[in-house]
Amino acid sequence: MQRQLTMERLSEDEEVKASGLNLDFDEIAKKGVMSKEEGMVAKWYGVYGSRQPGNLMARIVIPGGVITASQARQIADTAENHAQGRISITTRQSLQYHWLKVIRIPDMMRELATEGVSTFHGCGDVTRNVTACPMAENCVHRRLDVRPFARESARLLTDARDLDNLPRKFKVTWSGCRGNCAQPYMNCAGVIAVACGLDGSRQTGFKVVIGGGMGWKGFVAQELFSFVPQDRVIPVIRAMALLFRDHGDRYNRAKARLKFVVARYGIERCREIVLENMQAEGESVEGLRTEPMPDVGEPVPARPLVDETFQTCDASSVVRIRVPKGEVTHQQLRRVAELSEMFGDQRIYTTNRQNMELHGIDPAKTKQVKQEVLATELFTDGVEGIIDIVPCVGTTYCPKAVSTTRDLYDRLVPLVAQEKFASIAGAVRINITGCPNSCSPYRIVDIGFRGMRIREEQGSVEGYEMLIGGDQEAHGLRLGDFKLADCPAITELVLHKFLELREGDETLTACIRRTGMAPWEEVLSQ
Amino acid sequence: MNLDYKKAPNLREYSVADGEARSAGDARILAKDIPCQQACPARTNVPLYIEHLANGDATASYRVNLECNVFPGVLGRVCTRPCEDRCRHQWTNTQGPVTICHLKRAAADSLEANIAPLPSYFEDTGKRVAVVGGGPAGLAAARELKRLGHSVTILEREPQLGGMLVDGIPKFRLPRRVVEKEIALIIDSGIDVELGKDVDAAMMQELADTYDAVCIAAGTMKVQELELDGLPPDTALSGLEFMKQYNRGEITSMSGDVVVIGGGFTAVDCSRSCARAARRLLGEGDNISIIYRRSEQFMAATQDELEEIERENISIRTLATPVSVRMEDGLLAGVTFRRNILDKTSDEEKPRMLPVPDSEFEVPCKHLIVAIGQTQEWEILPEGLALTDGFGTTAEHVFVTGDFATGADNVIKAVANGKAVAEEIDAHLTGRERMQSFVRVETIEKDGFTGRVRDHDLQSSAEMPVSPVPERAEGDREVEQGFDPDSAEANAMRCYFCHYKFEIDQDKCIHCDWCIDAAPRECIQRVSRVFLDDDGVVDTVIEATLAHEATYIWIDSDACIRCGKCLRVCPTGAISMQKAERIHCPRT
Repeated sequence: MQRQLTMERLSEDEEVKASGLNLDFDEIAKKGVMSKEEGMVAKWYGVYGSRQPGNLMARIVIPGGVITASQARQIADTAENHAQGRISITTRQSLQYHWLKVIRIPDMMRELATEGVSTFHGCGDVTRNVTACPMAENCVHRRLDVRPFARESARLLTDARDLDNLPRKFKVTWSGCRGNCAQPYMNCAGVIAVACGLDGSRQTGFKVVIGGGMGWKGFVAQELFSFVPQDRVIPVIRAMALLFRDHGDRYNRAKARLKFVVARYGIERCREIVLENMQAEGESVEGLRTEPMPDVGEPVPARPLVDETFQTCDASSVVRIRVPKGEVTHQQLRRVAELSEMFGDQRIYTTNRQNMELHGIDPAKTKQVKQEVLATELFTDGVEGIIDIVPCVGTTYCPKAVSTTRDLYDRLVPLVAQEKFASIAGAVRINITGCPNSCSPYRIVDIGFRGMRIREEQGSVEGYEMLIGGDQEAHGLRLGDFKLADCPAITELVLHKFLELREGDETLTACIRRTGMAPWEEVLSQ
Repeated sequence: MNLDYKKAPNLREYSVADGEARSAGDARILAKDIPCQQACPARTNVPLYIEHLANGDATASYRVNLECNVFPGVLGRVCTRPCEDRCRHQWTNTQGPVTICHLKRAAADSLEANIAPLPSYFEDTGKRVAVVGGGPAGLAAARELKRLGHSVTILEREPQLGGMLVDGIPKFRLPRRVVEKEIALIIDSGIDVELGKDVDAAMMQELADTYDAVCIAAGTMKVQELELDGLPPDTALSGLEFMKQYNRGEITSMSGDVVVIGGGFTAVDCSRSCARAARRLLGEGDNISIIYRRSEQFMAATQDELEEIERENISIRTLATPVSVRMEDGLLAGVTFRRNILDKTSDEEKPRMLPVPDSEFEVPCKHLIVAIGQTQEWEILPEGLALTDGFGTTAEHVFVTGDFATGADNVIKAVANGKAVAEEIDAHLTGRERMQSFVRVETIEKDGFTGRVRDHDLQSSAEMPVSPVPERAEGDREVEQGFDPDSAEANAMRCYFCHYKFEIDQDKCIHCDWCIDAAPRECIQRVSRVFLDDDGVVDTVIEATLAHEATYIWIDSDACIRCGKCLRVCPTGAISMQKAERIHCPRT
């Protein structure tokens, strides 16, 4: 059979997508294998390839980054049943299995469904897991509780069949204040709750930013609207998804994301299209503002979550669980679920630093809960600090990875945990991503590593591109490409330099911004 | 800590990423990467014209051909297609080469705009050149000489220009309007033509005495005689003479069996013309046979043509050498042949024949056409003038080209030689080489888009539609009808577009292997070593199995299908798409 081939600028993926996005996983299980095309469509069901031949990955969608204890227990059970008992927490607050066999997929899905958990739209060219501040409900700095908005937007965007076939993935996040813990500036659509003086009164609504992203080319999101009333914000997000759907590049997938549309069209044109899209659907655009609207809420620290003695806005306290390498066993997850039932609000909160949180703890019980957590071989110290290094799964599981991020993680943790760095433990964040996809967003942290191989005279060795001084609104600057063996020593030199140059309680990034790159580049000649 | 990492050198094939690449290696890379162009004697930029056609721009496609091979419409019908033998599709799949020749014709057929003669390279030099012979070589030489700024006069013996294009090739293969249109494009550039000018030795001397240069492109108009026992003079007709008479409408009907001896284009054309003259395309009545002493693989006819011969009920008998004829009542009655086999030990291009003893057989016939070759009419050379190497003669301002220089050959070689001699004459007249060739390399920023996907490689070619056999005899209707635009585009998209080169900048490559994963076939490899020859051209690569063994990730241009997927997935922008083009232009 001859296909009619044209010179149309459409990727082969688009042809597969156009032929349908439905899969019968029972039939696939009977066959025992997935075709290339089925493998592509499987992503819409959250099922993706794995580095280990014969294994698959499945990503469980956790809208807003919160699951009930019973859901967590089911996820743990399913991990035990089908996925070698291991669960990874992702930087988008999802959970992943990495050891699935194709014949187990339908059972996995059925088991999860009993607790209302799904992998649907875990991957694929759709709205990905909608994320939110882990402390959305009880953070003292919050302007609004964004969790309900996050979950509602997740529901609407996932249920909208006209948004099933986007040019590529679409990422939405909700931040409760300008502390930006939910990383709005590196998402396609970043929503930040703001308190503004409007018409003589203080009103809370949202600032919406558009076109941020990591991947192989980093973009900082731009402000689409300075203020959106609360009842308009979800239509705005949908209109942004429509903008992406209709204007994203469907030929070059590497340039398909919304960030490239924004770069291509400019913010003004994008805003026009968003407004047109809203009006076309009969949505009101009243109250959407573009002029600068300063936030009049209380000041917010640069890194709200670093504070070990984090204050909540209610009487309860929070136990934050540091999960090394973002991976837990089914026993650990089950125990954490149990702790949330015994001491917390019967929920588990996932964070974009691949950690978990228990909320609603009686302050009097905090110490006990922490001890229980420690007993599961998880940690409660150093969360969001220098030791809380975020590696992607790297070559351990990921088919795309270039580097074994966990190797570098294991070399760096004892180094940064040294007593001499205690004074900067809360001022440095380190992310390690195994490839340019930047699943661990390495451009927005103080020290970021991106995996690569470095050519030698013959052969090649594992290495990393190293960036320093990044945050969401100004990405890190390149220090160099270094062999894996050299990365710890260079990190140590950078940290020493930070100890030497630091003023007050500034972060490493703030210090680098103040000094410029020269002193940091000098350490390389030592 | 030593951060001064030692690395194997970067690996870029062309010497420049953008601009003029002039090293010996650059020319060799182009020749290797674009084998069809290299196989074309006129160095036609095949992938470029096919790409224009694929993009629906027949005019641009035609112009590329016009520049390179002078007669696109003609060669799109009658070229011997050395390019197709070298097409990369021949290396990798079983669906045959890209229909390069027919696509050339497709562009000529779809031409909408009127094409103007090509512009001159230089101002008038005031030099005068006489070109003896208005066949393809002479016309090509004349066009280029004119573009080089010289005054040109063509002297042609026949009452029309075209040489073998009009006298040798039948109209059902090459309609006259096609030839005339393309000759007009040459002549309209301001070339003087003197028809009916039978240049003999004396006149040649006169030309040599009065013109600044003379170019003899008189072809091979003397037929090779076949000596057969019992064959009276003037009984057999030479293939050339037959075709000349047929093409001029002097043979309109024939009867009785016809034997055509020979295996070249003329033999085939004669037999097919006979079939028309005798209105016997459907096979009633008498027999027309081609009898050739070697096997079919050594015949000049293409596979398509052999099929058409069969459909036109012409029989082909091979491995037989004529030995004698039988006459009855003063008329030819039959030709006796002896079987022969080919000498398997022969390493010549055309193997020797070994007779099979006692294998004689007779083929009855009323007409015998002998088309076994043609040679130069040496007598047109003045006393004392002889050919030297290449296009030269013993007189420094007298040159030869085309078949007259090389012996009987095909049209594309005649054109190539015509163009080449023009530059030699120019160098003689001006005292320097005013033209130059180099490879122009251009980095193309369009996301690796060529329009190609892997499925294009695996498409079957659209077949050339042919006229129904019963209608072929009427008015010498052209047999091959030409592609419709859709078929032309479909066939064009099979072309690998080898003029594009995808290459990895090793200093940007991080060995993520995403390109290898995206590759449509094994066109990208991990390699541990790359050995270059003295010109810096990749000679050998050693494939690496494991990541740490890989010094380079390397795109094998010989396997690359120019789909651009690798470029689009590369996360570091290490992969570039370059367009390489052989440029032939005046020196600046």
